[in-house]
Amino acid sequence: MSLSQSILLIEDDQQIREFVASTLEAEGYSLIKAASAAQGAVEAGASKPDLLILDLGLPDRDGIDFIRDYRAWSATPILILSARSREASKVAALDAGADDYLTKPFGVSELLARVRALLRRRLLTQEQASPLISFGDYQIDCVRRVVTCKAELMHLTQIEYRLLIVLASNPGRVLTHRQLLLQVWGGRALENHQYLRVYVGHLRQKIEANPAQPQHILTEIGVGYRFQP
Amino acid sequence: MSVRNYLSALLLSLALTLCLLPLQGDLDLSNAALLYVLAVVIVGCRYGRGPAIFSALLSALLYAHIFVPPLFSLAITEAQYLLAALVMLVVALLVGHLTASLKAQTEQVLARERQTRALYDLARSLTASLSPAEVESVSQRFLANTLRAINIRILRDEEILLPAAPLTKALLQSAMVGRHLLSSTGSHPAYSLMLVPLMASANTPCVLVCEIPVALAGQPMTRALLETAASVITVALERTYAVEVARETELRRSTESLRNTILAALSHDLRTPLTVMVGLADALTLGKASVERERSMLSALRAQALAINQLVTNLLDMARLRSGSIELNEEWQPIDEVIGATLQLVRAQWRDREISVDIAANLPPLRFDAVLVERVLWNLLENAIKYSPTDTQVELIVRQIGIWVDVMICDWGPGLPTVGSEELFGMFKRGQAESCIPGVGLGLAIARGFAEAHGGQILAENRLGGGACFRLRLPIGSPPNLDDLEGGLP
Repeated sequence: MSLSQSILLIEDDQQIREFVASTLEAEGYSLIKAASAAQGAVEAGASKPDLLILDLGLPDRDGIDFIRDYRAWSATPILILSARSREASKVAALDAGADDYLTKPFGVSELLARVRALLRRRLLTQEQASPLISFGDYQIDCVRRVVTCKAELMHLTQIEYRLLIVLASNPGRVLTHRQLLLQVWGGRALENHQYLRVYVGHLRQKIEANPAQPQHILTEIGVGYRFQP
Repeated sequence: MSVRNYLSALLLSLALTLCLLPLQGDLDLSNAALLYVLAVVIVGCRYGRGPAIFSALLSALLYAHIFVPPLFSLAITEAQYLLAALVMLVVALLVGHLTASLKAQTEQVLARERQTRALYDLARSLTASLSPAEVESVSQRFLANTLRAINIRILRDEEILLPAAPLTKALLQSAMVGRHLLSSTGSHPAYSLMLVPLMASANTPCVLVCEIPVALAGQPMTRALLETAASVITVALERTYAVEVARETELRRSTESLRNTILAALSHDLRTPLTVMVGLADALTLGKASVERERSMLSALRAQALAINQLVTNLLDMARLRSGSIELNEEWQPIDEVIGATLQLVRAQWRDREISVDIAANLPPLRFDAVLVERVLWNLLENAIKYSPTDTQVELIVRQIGIWVDVMICDWGPGLPTVGSEELFGMFKRGQAESCIPGVGLGLAIARGFAEAHGGQILAENRLGGGACFRLRLPIGSPPNLDDLEGGLP
């Protein structure tokens, strides 16, 4: 399966490019390499990759602009590589349509885990979507709008249910505070991050075995939340 | 204003005449003349010279017309009556003039006293000002109060090169070259533009510019006041410039010393792991080690690289703190969330270290920047882990204490030195100067800096029975009330 999957890597630093490329090629992915945003855009149009890995600090163009343009015509998942202590640009890239991020320096295992998760999700979305979402002992029936734990019905409020659906239907993906507020509350509460925090807290109380050390709804500090099925 | 003064003088003379009219026959001529002179004195006192002279002439006419026989006629038949009328005119004129001069003098003295007091106040306020901006605002207040001035500015350096209308470069040039006060037409016809050069120091020429009412601008007293004020302001400016220069020098010196310390720290703490890495890489290239040995060398290589990464992160954090450019991305949030996320990171790095967590229930939400608080917690936990034996437990306890939420991170290590525990928070300070535990000693300084940026504190203490305890203390503000979020939703 992985033989046919291609990844476009846009990274200006040659060392990192070679390291990432050789790692992924060893795993059986076919790699297309680009050293600049301009070259990357050409390759993206020509080869239609299954995944895009993009360095945010490209010399010729702002990475966030690149994501916006790319998202206008493609839904291919984007994994961004960024330097530490640049939470704001990470959030901006995710808001612009990137799917996940890796902070430099990152290890091989982290890289492979993210790549696998994004490609798996791409396959899932290409298949017929199912109204049933399962994780751990839980099952969400999106048609009947009920959540069950080991076949037992759970009581969730409207907002909790909506929040859970948004999170669970994006497994492994980082959702920014803004994206969650927009999808759960609509445009009314965009500035009110406290709403989100209160409800994430409620939801953790209900679905996590140990809410202080969550297994499903993970905090990405300064960025948002990631759902781990 | 002046027309009204003359009108008042006229009315007073007429009123006096009307009052005296019934006594026309009985009143002695000289008494009547005295009463008129009195009226002129009053007018002189109240309305000044012009009205007094006017009143004197008018009184003389009325006196001659009504009281001097033949009554109701200006024709004076006898020489002595003429003399009386003339004397009355001269006396009235003289008295009126004297009174008015006296009044003007008194007013001038009062005005001068007011100005002196204002100048005194100016000097006092200027002594207390610490920056050129403060000097400017004090000067503005002074000129607005004393001279009803508007558009008051102190121009310096580049502002002199690019003057805004109604100022022109030529005007400014001539004021500065001539080194004296210059006036010109203001932005409004009722105002004159005044330029006062302030020669604060040889290389920073300044010009005080303001617009004052035309009536005031012409007076010599105004010019004198402006010049005196200018010299006081110049001295104050000179002083504040000196203070500024001294402060900048001090800042440059401390930045310099910081850079030196960082360089020294880097050369030691960066070279050690780099040396290890080069050695490991070379050994691996030779390929003579066993597979097992190679594996452990590779993991050592990785550990050293991560140590360098941690060092770089700390140096960057420190640079952010020192440059004073921290922008807090504060939000109301529960503290447990950031603690959970930090613990996840810490546990990933130190897998086999036991960390116990005890968080009080029902803690209020706090307002903080999660990324920075994560850095604080990481630094405190890293210290606790590094400076205590590997088989002991690290404890994290969260409690609400009064108006604070305290996150305590405690270990069972050797504890803190009993004296000078405050020293630990200095940059590049470590409990023991040379030790085999890697690190530069930036962690606590960063933790304290970030905590203080939130209005919080980091406290260090030794716990009973041994071990150190660091306390991150964050203030409980007044969290906003959340509406009923469920209501009103479809």
